[in-house]
Amino acid sequence: MSNIRTTGKKSSNTLVRDLVNVGIFAALYIVLAFISSSIGYIPALIVFSIGSIALVTSIPLFLFFSKVERSILCCLIFCGFFGAAMFVMGQGILMLTISLLVGLLAGVILKVFGKSFAGLFSANIVMSLMSSSMMLPLWTSTEEYLKYTSTMCDAGYVAKLAELSQSPWPLVAIYAFGILGAIVGGLVARRVMKKHFERIGLAK
Amino acid sequence: MKLDPRTKLFLAVVANSVILSAPLVYGALMFAVPAILLLLERKWRFVLVFFSVYLAAALGFEHLKTMDVGRVGTLGVSTMMIISRMMPIGIVLYYVMQTTKVNEFLAAMARIHVPTKLTIPLTVMIRFFPTVFDEARAIGHAMRMRGIRLFSLHTLKNPFSILEYRLVPLLVSITKIGDELSIAAVTRGLSPETKRTCVATIGFHVQDVIVFMYCLIVTGSFVIASHETAKQSFVDFLSALFC
Amino acid sequence: MNITLKNVSFSYTDSLDDAVIKDLNLEIRSGQCVILAGESGCGKTTISKLINGLIPHYHSGTISGDILLGEKNTADITLAEISRYVGSVFQNPRSQFFNIDTDSEIAFGCENLAMPREEILQRVDRIVDEFHLQKLMGRNIFHLSGGEKQKIACASVAATMPEIFVLDEPSANLDLKTIAELKEIIARWKKAGKTVVVVEHRIHYLREIADRICYVKDGRIAYEWTPAELEAKGAEYAASLGLRCVNLKKIGDARLRGHDKKSVIASGAKQSLHESIVFTDLQFAYNRKFPILNIPSFTLPRNQITALIGHNGAGKSTLAQVLCKKSDAYLIMQDVNHQLFTESVLEEVLLGMRPQNEKTALEILAGLNLEQYAYEHPMALSGGQKQRVAIGSGVSSGRDIVIFDEPTSGLDYRQMLAVSATLQKLATSGKTLLVITHDPEFILNCCSNIIHLEHGKIAEQYPLQGHQEKLIETMLDE
Repeated sequence: MSNIRTTGKKSSNTLVRDLVNVGIFAALYIVLAFISSSIGYIPALIVFSIGSIALVTSIPLFLFFSKVERSILCCLIFCGFFGAAMFVMGQGILMLTISLLVGLLAGVILKVFGKSFAGLFSANIVMSLMSSSMMLPLWTSTEEYLKYTSTMCDAGYVAKLAELSQSPWPLVAIYAFGILGAIVGGLVARRVMKKHFERIGLAK
Repeated sequence: MKLDPRTKLFLAVVANSVILSAPLVYGALMFAVPAILLLLERKWRFVLVFFSVYLAAALGFEHLKTMDVGRVGTLGVSTMMIISRMMPIGIVLYYVMQTTKVNEFLAAMARIHVPTKLTIPLTVMIRFFPTVFDEARAIGHAMRMRGIRLFSLHTLKNPFSILEYRLVPLLVSITKIGDELSIAAVTRGLSPETKRTCVATIGFHVQDVIVFMYCLIVTGSFVIASHETAKQSFVDFLSALFC
Repeated sequence: MNITLKNVSFSYTDSLDDAVIKDLNLEIRSGQCVILAGESGCGKTTISKLINGLIPHYHSGTISGDILLGEKNTADITLAEISRYVGSVFQNPRSQFFNIDTDSEIAFGCENLAMPREEILQRVDRIVDEFHLQKLMGRNIFHLSGGEKQKIACASVAATMPEIFVLDEPSANLDLKTIAELKEIIARWKKAGKTVVVVEHRIHYLREIADRICYVKDGRIAYEWTPAELEAKGAEYAASLGLRCVNLKKIGDARLRGHDKKSVIASGAKQSLHESIVFTDLQFAYNRKFPILNIPSFTLPRNQITALIGHNGAGKSTLAQVLCKKSDAYLIMQDVNHQLFTESVLEEVLLGMRPQNEKTALEILAGLNLEQYAYEHPMALSGGQKQRVAIGSGVSSGRDIVIFDEPTSGLDYRQMLAVSATLQKLATSGKTLLVITHDPEFILNCCSNIIHLEHGKIAEQYPLQGHQEKLIETMLDE
């Protein structure tokens, strides 16, 4: 009788499985991110829109993190795609760089902490930094635009827009809400994982 | 008129950056390119609708920004500003998506030596967008049949349940599809570590060069115009050349 | 290229104690067409994965024994290498395509094997010719029907010209006409000397092509026959093994023997009650020039099971959706995963109930043989069980009209009978049922009326009693 061997070891085939997962979850993430952030078209709600992205995407991210074998590579590519999408939409290299750093950090966290709750939770919070940065260029470019428009139009309007972007506080608020959204989302996601995905056998 | 996918990508990146960070004039010059290209592709209706909305928002913004319209008014004016920024980006992306076939795009990626480790998830991602919408729609239909609504007693009592109802079936479904997709790919020899050939034809032609140059000129003008020293030295340069 | 499985045991877990395949020995000679049949869960799909290399290269588990393709041991070569010799087609058309357009999809396999561009183009042209796919070229795969997608899948796999084809329930989601086209494709492969291994419940379309049928039970090959031998043993023998009917033309008398026939006659008798629900003006169109559905008047007999038949694209699913909107009907979807939301079966039934009553919910579950699963997660159950859960939530919603979208695709005989029994129970309890289906065996088993939909209009409507042959003919003709 032949020897007993394990099958399905880490190989280029399981890499395909990982990469396909990256593609799928990246697609879902981007769709969810855009839907959630559309609240932000009402300027007053911009700050909340980012927090909602972090909240809503927590559940898929938890599932994604628990499914991929090669955490660092997958997170890097995943965030890279998001950053690249932002780049193509005109948001500049800064966004892409931030995304890649976030991806690297998230991947490392997953590698170090494994698929434990601590690992998933922290990685999720790190991811919120990426979605929070989505608003960054609209900020910096608005400042440049303000410089230009102040030469052309009335100071009163400029002052009003200044409420939106001159001071750094709204930006800090955005990141804070992002992290808050990720924390709340992480707790919800953990419950959903326990309640559903672990019992179905989709996650371990 | 066919553009190489790489040109389209370059156009998208440059155009969108300019639209977001430069004054209106430059943005307009940039998105004129996809607009014209779309007209050449005979997408009259889209361009027409786009321009109507855009002009309304842009002109509205230009006109109202100097006036004092009160708190509520500022909200409307800011919205108009955001629209007049987002829409041009929309038309650029619409053009790129509509006229680029996925395999051409991937062939372009392969030509510039993007590793297969990146093109596989990219293909899957692009191919998956419609699937996500289809599945979400079916689940939404099922939710309606069950009487699960966004604002009902049940969901207000437990606000996160709506997330659960919306996402759990969706995730189960796409996970299953994803697994089957991997299997279908792997049994047809897909491997990130071996090289692939591509059937699609791509290549640079005259039109690519024209678009490329145009982008450079517009961006160049913007850069020069917004930097006083650059502007001055450019003016000096021109006068030295012609005098 | 011969396929040889020597003393193979495989388990999806860490030890061989719960092996799905036990000490299997199988030899398939080059050029043969073999059917792997058996009830759900018997291990036939796992055997197909042993042949196409997914085991041991993709799925995790434990294995012992050897699998040889020709002279090569699959464990010694890569999966990509195996894919040169073995082409695989799976049962779900919507999750097999990697690309968005048809041309790229057919070239996909060849591209992966790094064939030169010119050669790929030649092969694609040849395949398109052979398979008569000209009309499908240059199109978005998302816009194709299930049958068309499946044909593209076959073409994509055939383009790499493998020696062996492995198909896993390829006919599961197809209508009879498309199954006939699938049969042509397989026949052509056999004629070209290829080895074809088909995992199937539905043997009827292969009875003229297959060389032998291997019946798999508990991970072993229990029986082997030629199609003629199996047919000679009679319909009841096949039914007792859980196999679908072997000869579609003889289906009328064969399957209606015994208790099956009685129930059809019983429900046919109820027809004399002459009560029906009439719907008017059922319309749907994406744009006014091309209406998808245009039915001025639609009559559904009460308390009966009506089958809705028609080729793909006739508008059956659209009709179901329109009916749901207009008349508060409950739809059991083809993909049950879309309508399971909660963490326990009991919750699921309670979800649509107004007012919520746990006692009633448990009674509903009992009626569907699901009481022991009341606290299980719905998504963890098997396909047939999930479907019953969805039915349970339909019952608890209290709606009178229940519509089923392809409830028996991919089910073996016993499972199909179970669905049939459930539906009959629902009908006798006062519900009116409409079933969209391609499954003639199922229709003959429990439906009493037929509505034939074509191009968004009702072509014909008749009771099944006395019209069985007409039904079979119409379905084969679709």
